[in-house]
Amino acid sequence: MTTIKLLILVLVWATSVWVSAQEAAGGDVDAAIRALEHQWVEAQSRRDNGALNLIFDNALVYIEYGKLVSKGDYLSKVKAAKPGSSPITMEAMTVRSFGEAATVIGTYRDNSTKSGKSARWRFVDTWVRKTGGWMLVPAAEAPVTK
Amino acid sequence: MRTLMLVALLACAGTLAGHAPQHSDSNVEAKIPAMEHVWAQAYVSKDPQALERILDDEFVNVDSDGKMQTKADVLAEVRRSSVLQFVTESMSVHLHGNTAIVTGVFLIKGVEHGNPFAERERFVDTWFCKNGQWVSIAGLVTRIGQ
Repeated sequence: MTTIKLLILVLVWATSVWVSAQEAAGGDVDAAIRALEHQWVEAQSRRDNGALNLIFDNALVYIEYGKLVSKGDYLSKVKAAKPGSSPITMEAMTVRSFGEAATVIGTYRDNSTKSGKSARWRFVDTWVRKTGGWMLVPAAEAPVTK
Repeated sequence: MRTLMLVALLACAGTLAGHAPQHSDSNVEAKIPAMEHVWAQAYVSKDPQALERILDDEFVNVDSDGKMQTKADVLAEVRRSSVLQFVTESMSVHLHGNTAIVTGVFLIKGVEHGNPFAERERFVDTWFCKNGQWVSIAGLVTRIGQ
């Protein structure tokens, strides 16, 4: 009986330590989300759909050029892209944390225009904390024209 | 002893579930489109009052020119709106716990500096349940066919 009690106490203690560690990690949401944004760019430049799959929620909606793109369509596009065809240069970004959700607004440059000229985009992304970690749910961008 | 074990197990279960809260408001998929409608009509009536409580104080939006707007910017835009007609053509809501993602298409018509205009745009808005109230925390609008 004493052994069982001890095991339960250890279990409760371990749980509280795990919770504290998660909360401490969650306390630095800003750094975690920034890291994920950079992981996204790096994975895309490597055309690493496995890595993108881990951070894109299955219900991801992506909006570019006024079009709605699903997760499957986005990954297919990444897979079909030529290596280094549209390198992305991230600029400033701001993270706002709302507990289980975080929004990111920022700008980046690429050469995705039809003429191949550099374009500047402003984006808004939302990350939601799920069981598997922070997942990207919507991502959208608009060309900076003014 | 069984009670103690149950308490310990529930503590673990509560912790694991704590990172993926599900919103219990079964009406949310009707409430949020209704608030989107109020938001749209504010542009026609040039009355930003309703937006005061719909938009979170940390709300940010990216307009179709890639310009960032704060809540104050949006309220000011509504006051000087030249929109005469705002028709939401489609809208869908995806729930992720306390976060809801709304995507859709709207058509706006109006007169600016004496010139009539009509634009069809796609939008994505992020809503978050904050202290029991759904508020919009981010949005982006992009022209279709841009």
